[in-house]
Amino acid sequence: MTAPAEQTTDGAQAPVSAPSIDPAATHLVAELKHTSPLVSCRCDPTGTFVFAGAQDNTVRRWRFADGEQTALAGHNSWVRGLALHPAGQTLFTGGYDGRVIWWEAAAESPVPVRVIEAHAGWVRGIAVSPDGQTLATGGNDHRVRLWSATDGAPLSEFSGHASHVYAVAFHPTGAHLVSVDLKGVVKHWDLSTGAEARQLDASVLYKYDEGFRADIGGAESIAFSPDGGWLACGGTTNVTNAFAGVGNPVVALFDWQTGERRQVHGAKEAYNGVVRGLVFHAQGFLIGASGGGAGGYLLFWKPEEPTEFFQLKLANTARDVDLHPDGVRLAVPQFDGVLRVYSMTPV
Amino acid sequence: MARTVWRRPSTTLFVLAASTIAWAAPLSLAADSASLHERVDSLIGAAHAGPVAERTGDAEFARRVYLDLTGRIPPVAELRTFLAETAADKRASLVDRLLASHEYARHMQITFDCMWMERRGDKHVPAAEWQDYLRKSFALNKPLNQLIREILSADGTVPALRPAAKFYLDREAEPIQLTRDISRLFFGMDLQCTQCHDHPLLDDYKQNDFYGLFAFLNRSVLFTPKGQPAVLGEKAEGDANYKSVFDPETNHAAGPHLPRAAAIEEPRYADGQAYIVPPADGIRPVPKHSRREQLAALATDGANSAFNRNLANRLWAMLMGRGIVHPVGLHHAGNPPSHPALLDMLAAELVAMKFNTKAFLRELALSETYQRSSQAPESAEGAELPPDTFAVAAIKPLTAEQLTASMLEATGSSAARRAALESQLTADPRLHQILQADGKRAALHDSMLEQAAFDLVAANLGAFVALFAKAQPQSEGFEVTVHQALFLANAEPLRSWLRPGGGNLVERLISITDAELLAEELYLSILSRLPNGEEAAEAIELISSGSDDRPAAVAQLAWALLASAEFRLNH
Amino acid sequence: MKCTYACGSREHLLARRTFLGHVAAGMGAAAGFGSFARRAVAAQLQQAQKRIIVIYLAGGVSQLESWDPKPGTDTGGPFRAIPTSVPGVNISELLPHTAGQMHRLALVRGINTNENDHGKGSYIMHTGRREDPAITYPHLGSLAAKYLAPEDGALPGYIHITPGGSGLGQQDAAFLGPKYGSVVLGNGQPPQNSVRPEQLSDTDDKLRNELRRRLNDRFVRRRRTAETEAYSYSYEQAAQLMQRRDVFDVTKEPPAELERYGAHDFGRHCLLARRLLEQGVTFVKVSHSNYDTHNENFNFHLEQLGEFDRTFATLIDDLHQRGMLDSTLVVVMSEFGRTPQINHLYGRDHWGTAWSVAMAGCGLHVGSVVGKTNDNGTAVVDREVNGGHLFHTYLRALGLDPAMELSVGGRPIPMADPEAAAIEELLA
Repeated sequence: MTAPAEQTTDGAQAPVSAPSIDPAATHLVAELKHTSPLVSCRCDPTGTFVFAGAQDNTVRRWRFADGEQTALAGHNSWVRGLALHPAGQTLFTGGYDGRVIWWEAAAESPVPVRVIEAHAGWVRGIAVSPDGQTLATGGNDHRVRLWSATDGAPLSEFSGHASHVYAVAFHPTGAHLVSVDLKGVVKHWDLSTGAEARQLDASVLYKYDEGFRADIGGAESIAFSPDGGWLACGGTTNVTNAFAGVGNPVVALFDWQTGERRQVHGAKEAYNGVVRGLVFHAQGFLIGASGGGAGGYLLFWKPEEPTEFFQLKLANTARDVDLHPDGVRLAVPQFDGVLRVYSMTPV
Repeated sequence: MARTVWRRPSTTLFVLAASTIAWAAPLSLAADSASLHERVDSLIGAAHAGPVAERTGDAEFARRVYLDLTGRIPPVAELRTFLAETAADKRASLVDRLLASHEYARHMQITFDCMWMERRGDKHVPAAEWQDYLRKSFALNKPLNQLIREILSADGTVPALRPAAKFYLDREAEPIQLTRDISRLFFGMDLQCTQCHDHPLLDDYKQNDFYGLFAFLNRSVLFTPKGQPAVLGEKAEGDANYKSVFDPETNHAAGPHLPRAAAIEEPRYADGQAYIVPPADGIRPVPKHSRREQLAALATDGANSAFNRNLANRLWAMLMGRGIVHPVGLHHAGNPPSHPALLDMLAAELVAMKFNTKAFLRELALSETYQRSSQAPESAEGAELPPDTFAVAAIKPLTAEQLTASMLEATGSSAARRAALESQLTADPRLHQILQADGKRAALHDSMLEQAAFDLVAANLGAFVALFAKAQPQSEGFEVTVHQALFLANAEPLRSWLRPGGGNLVERLISITDAELLAEELYLSILSRLPNGEEAAEAIELISSGSDDRPAAVAQLAWALLASAEFRLNH
Repeated sequence: MKCTYACGSREHLLARRTFLGHVAAGMGAAAGFGSFARRAVAAQLQQAQKRIIVIYLAGGVSQLESWDPKPGTDTGGPFRAIPTSVPGVNISELLPHTAGQMHRLALVRGINTNENDHGKGSYIMHTGRREDPAITYPHLGSLAAKYLAPEDGALPGYIHITPGGSGLGQQDAAFLGPKYGSVVLGNGQPPQNSVRPEQLSDTDDKLRNELRRRLNDRFVRRRRTAETEAYSYSYEQAAQLMQRRDVFDVTKEPPAELERYGAHDFGRHCLLARRLLEQGVTFVKVSHSNYDTHNENFNFHLEQLGEFDRTFATLIDDLHQRGMLDSTLVVVMSEFGRTPQINHLYGRDHWGTAWSVAMAGCGLHVGSVVGKTNDNGTAVVDREVNGGHLFHTYLRALGLDPAMELSVGGRPIPMADPEAAAIEELLA
């Protein structure tokens, strides 16, 4: 896997070489507190802010430097979908109210710049293309839609999923889009032709619970490796009791080129959890945040190994994870309303 | 005939009368030479001055005692033999044979498994192991107090006794549940209302009794080491503190004591000295003094009258269909025994014979009381003789297991299975020789036959238990549903048993040309009796009616008998 | 473990004789009810035969995701509220079709049964009373089967359609006797074993049953008859079921109906229920599984209520179109509601303190709401009621007298808990 690309936008850092990190030394460095449980988070590409959706329908913004907190109000339901324009100036939020809202990420008190009714029912997943031009959303109406990131105009729609679309992600080249649904069906959309190119199988993430007669699963988290060679989808598996959350954290890892599922990552210890956040580190490993009956964990995996090479127990259940552009810090929004920042600097 | 209404003697009077009879020499028998069953009859007779049912005929007796002691109706061959016997003591001989049989051990296993585990699903001890343990205990005629002691003291660590720990382990050693169940099952006192307060209606059920028993149990803990079977550990501390919901300001503490008995002596240890294996993370604690073991010892040592009376009462109810205290889990001042002196005597005798289950059941089965018919005497026509007089035998619905086993026996499927095994054993000269050679091996042979027949029952039990077993195993009453009737009318198991083949009943019947003999074999096989004139005529007419489908006619007749209330009930 | 027995209640005291073991429970007592009860009931029921359908959302549906949403509060969760056909009454956005039928429904939002245990909660909601070790009360369905169904009806009075299961029935008639227990249709299939085997001709079946009856007649002479009577009757019931087997076959409904009700189990089961009611079955309960969402409450309610919503709205509309709604009581209930507090698994837990039930039909005052919870649903603030009040209300809507005494072992027990009373606001 390659080193992170150089930053060229305003306010960016000077070009850096690969940071010196030791995942096994991951430790808490900051607690950013809100009064309502958190459900999602994204770090902005400039490294200035972190954004987190909360159960009070707001999005919280914290400045890393001084912890200053700002409330972004505009949705009237939870915001699970967060995406930042690669230049860092625009925040796109997708909420369970079916809306997508544009925000000026760095404004003193951001207000909605644009609001569109993107889906009937929840927006579950949102992603911005690497060139910053296109926004992709997926929702409970089984649809995947593309929008102009600049003016919100609808560009196209992909149908074919037969259940809720949980996650969407652009391939780092920008030529492909992936969407994953409740049943673990992964659809690869070729953006040059607008057609479905392939379907991959992440059904390890899905279960129909016969006892409770309900479906559980979906890709709660998704990530491409920076070089686009790998696609990871995270969720829960081995579910024996859907209504009590008895199931283990899992990540299905695909070789993008061949489409083959090359690995199923899990935890060494079979505790109850769901991988609700996933991020690839340029230095060749995958980080997952698991939340569930057993509490919160960060899990670190190498692609060739099924179980983690390191695991960190967190103070509270994790709802997502994102990597700070410095490649050193991790932001984990948690159920107790605290966004905890961890650092991988060696001790 | 004029209607006579017989009244029970008043309570005071019969208690006096009974106690007079119990302690003074009876008129016709010296107290010390009267057998237990004679004394039973004396006391029952003394309490009821009215008409009683006639003695059962041999066929009625045989069916009842086979069901009560071996869990199924008599195989027709054995029944014919018994009916033909002329010895005066043939009933006693039959009882002895049945008590010595492998079927008896199996039936007791089933009965006590259902009583003590109440059809729970398996958790920590597989049912098969527990059932084997029970069956072997009954086959060896292990004293019942010893069996219960093993169960109440088990911690699951001793391999040979691990199955006994199922009682505790599958209840997750949860002390409230254990207190409720143990008080009801082993002391005959359903104390569940006293968890929160003294019983509002019953003066002799106290909250202190609940917590006295609880105190023996709440130090035991379920210990589940990773990858290992669960066992019990026990702490050396932990008190039984409680408050009444009617008086939440006052704290009480109960020292361990059996219901309505005094607090017990316990050894005292200095701090840190109370353990053989002190508790630690991942270590099973073992105290020097185990309250659980003490409970087991004190309950079963023959000195606790509640325990003794409960057991005597339950064994009585097994055979008589109704406890002397009824319901059996509810001994208290407001629910007195129908025959107090009788219960006292039975409890004392049970202890005196060292909890010898077979001996005790034998005496009950030989009593005249047990041998009474379930038909009310003509002289009592119109008046109902209260069931607690035992003047008329009670009707007991067959349990799911009895029903399955009896239907298989009735339709000749069990006999066919035994015969098949028998010919296998005979055909193999080596096996045949081994089995003939040694006296003990004959028992092995019988055991194999019983197992073969039971395997057939086990294979069919699922459907029957699902339909016929009570929703609440400890509840009283006969539970009937339309689903049961649909099953018996149309489902495959019965249909296959009524298709001729494999030497089964229908196949044999079809080959009997004499319609009268056919009717006889049919009734003996299924209803365990001869047909009366009306029935024989009806059967003969049906079979000889000229219809060319004799097998169908026979099958319809057989089904009617199987589906009858007479078959469904133990009467 | 909490002790929640109704000690000291009148019934408990009255039932003392049974408890103390003087009277045989079960079968003997079943024969105790007298003909006086039936005459009294017959006199009361001058109108068309009344029926009931209970839709049981098993596991505890969240009132916050259904009948009593609190959007924008700390307990409201991500779903919002929508207006209904009754101005001023909003329900969860998960029930858009049902919202269109609100003018035919009544909501009771102030329920406090104070019970968080599945078994105990279910008992309260089905019998109108708390569990009592001294006496087992009969299920609403059994009461309906006994007091509303015609005595000689060919169909069972009480049918339970379950989402799965083999359909083997339960002992819920209590002292009314097993004749009034439920007939279970596992997964909405006709009763198990209700097809006469091919090889058995109608003649042979009649013959063998005639033989069986004669045997029973002989057996019964001079013996206690209660067990025999119940047992014999079960075969008559079985024969009746077999004869009317078509009634239980939902595939006999036109495909358009199957489509309208929804191409899933719950849809088929509700359609079957309507069919059975139309054919004269008095009480049908349809269980929908499952709502016990300690984990992922929102995803699962989305899924389950997604099934429920359209089917339920279709059912109400269908009953109305067929002119059945006036004589059919509809109750949608669970054993309890769910906690306003959202746990760390995006779940809600058991909650009997402030929850809701929906009703329709039978001349109830519809388009109305009785009872109110506070802003975030953590307490009832107006018109608090419990399972007893609901039970009284059902009985009155059906034209039965809740104070009517049933004879249990010679003792009179009122049909409904005398400590409670009907919710008069619902009884127009």
